[in-house]
Amino acid sequence: MTGPERPAARPRRLRSMAAAALIGVGVMAAVDEIVFHQILAWHHFYDRSTPAAGLLSDGLLHTAELLAVVAGIALYADLCRRRAVAAAHARAGVLLGLGGFQLFDGVVNHKLLRLHQVRYGVDLLPYDLAWNAAGLLLLAAGLVAAVRARRSPGE
Amino acid sequence: MPLAHGHPAGSAPGPAVLLAAAAVLSAVAAYLAAAARLRRRGDAWPRARDAFFGAGGTALAAAALAVPPGGAFTAHMLQHLAVGMVAPLLLVLARPLTLLLRTLGPGRTRRRLLAVLHSRAAAWLVFPPLAAVLDIGGLWVLYRTPLLAATHHHPLVHAAVHAHVLAAGLLFSLAVCRLDPLRRRWGLAWRSTALLGAGAAHAVLAKTLYAVPPPGTGFPAADLRTGAKLMYYGGDLVEVALAAVLAVQWYAAAGRAQARARRHGRPGPPRRP
Repeated sequence: MTGPERPAARPRRLRSMAAAALIGVGVMAAVDEIVFHQILAWHHFYDRSTPAAGLLSDGLLHTAELLAVVAGIALYADLCRRRAVAAAHARAGVLLGLGGFQLFDGVVNHKLLRLHQVRYGVDLLPYDLAWNAAGLLLLAAGLVAAVRARRSPGE
Repeated sequence: MPLAHGHPAGSAPGPAVLLAAAAVLSAVAAYLAAAARLRRRGDAWPRARDAFFGAGGTALAAAALAVPPGGAFTAHMLQHLAVGMVAPLLLVLARPLTLLLRTLGPGRTRRRLLAVLHSRAAAWLVFPPLAAVLDIGGLWVLYRTPLLAATHHHPLVHAAVHAHVLAAGLLFSLAVCRLDPLRRRWGLAWRSTALLGAGAAHAVLAKTLYAVPPPGTGFPAADLRTGAKLMYYGGDLVEVALAAVLAVQWYAAAGRAQARARRHGRPGPPRRP
C-alpha cells in the first residue's frame, strides 16, 4: 500500500533517465510515423530499393520501439509508486531518447539501411542535414541536461 | 482471378459460415452463463472478463458474417486481423480455461482437462518462441506459398486455414499473456522476446506484401498496398496491447515484491538513504 505517510525513497537517477529515454524513443518514433509517414506523406512505406537485411532490421526496430514505450511507461509508473523519480534526470532522458532516435533514424535507417528517404523528388541534402541536425541538437540538449542533473543537489 | 476471401459480395453466407458463427455465439452464451453461476456461488469474477469474451466472440462472428468494405485483399486482411489477432487476445484476456476449471465440478471431465493442460506437450506448445513460430510461421506459409490461391478454389482448405489462424492466434496469446493455469510458467524474458520476434516477422511480412503479392493471386496493386498497410499498423495495435498486458503483470508483481519487502522490515533496496 502506498500510504501518504510513507517517506519518499532516494531518487533513482539512472532508472529515471532510462525509463524516460525509452518513452522519448517511442514518442519520436510515433512523431515520425504520424507526421512524416501519414500527414505529410513524405516518407514512403516501402520504396522497393530496400535490401532484405534492411527490411529485417526495420521490422525488429519498429517492434522494439513499440515495446520500448510500453516498458518505459511501466518503469516510470513503478518509480512514481516508490516516489523515487529523479525529475531532472528524467527530463534529460526524454531529450536523449528523442534525439537519439532522430539521429539513428536519419543515419542508420535512411542512409545505411536505405529503408526510405526523408522526401522524394527533391534534392535530399538539405532535408538530410536538417533531419540529422535536429537529432544532434536534441541529443546535445539531453547531454547538457544530464550533466546539470548530476550536479543538482536535490538529486 | 482474385475472389473475395470470405464469400462473394452480395451473396448470403453459406451454411458452414453460419454454423461457425452460431458455435461462436453459443460459446459466448456458455461463458456468460458460467460466469453468472460463479458469481451466484460467491466467487469474484470481474465483469471485465465477461466483456472481453463477449467482444472477442462478436469480433469472430462479425469476421465470419460481415463483408468488409474495400478490395478483396484488404477485406481478407481485415478478417485476418480480427480472427488471428484481435479476437484471440480478447478471448484469452477472459481466462476461459480458468473459468472452465472452476465451473466443472470434481469428476472425470475435470481430471481429463487438467491432465491435458498439465501435459508435457501442452507445456511445450505454450513455449513462447514455439507458439510464435506456429502463429507467424503459418502466416509466412499462407502468403509466400500458393496456399492463399488454393483457399480461393477449395472450401476445405479455406476452412482449415481459418481454423489454423484462429488456433495459432489463441495459442500465441495464451503463451504470451500466461493468464490461465498451465504447468510451465515461462518468464517475462521469454514472453517479451517472443513478442518482439513475432512482431518483427509480422512487420517484415506486411512490408513485403506491399510490393510482392502472394503467389498465384492477382490482386490490384492499390488493394494490395492498402491491405499490407492494414496488416502492418493493425499488427502494431495488437502488439502494443499484448505488451501492455505484460507491463501490467510486471507492475503488479513488482508492487507485491515491494510490499513483501516492507512487511519483512527490509527497507527494500532503494527506498531509504
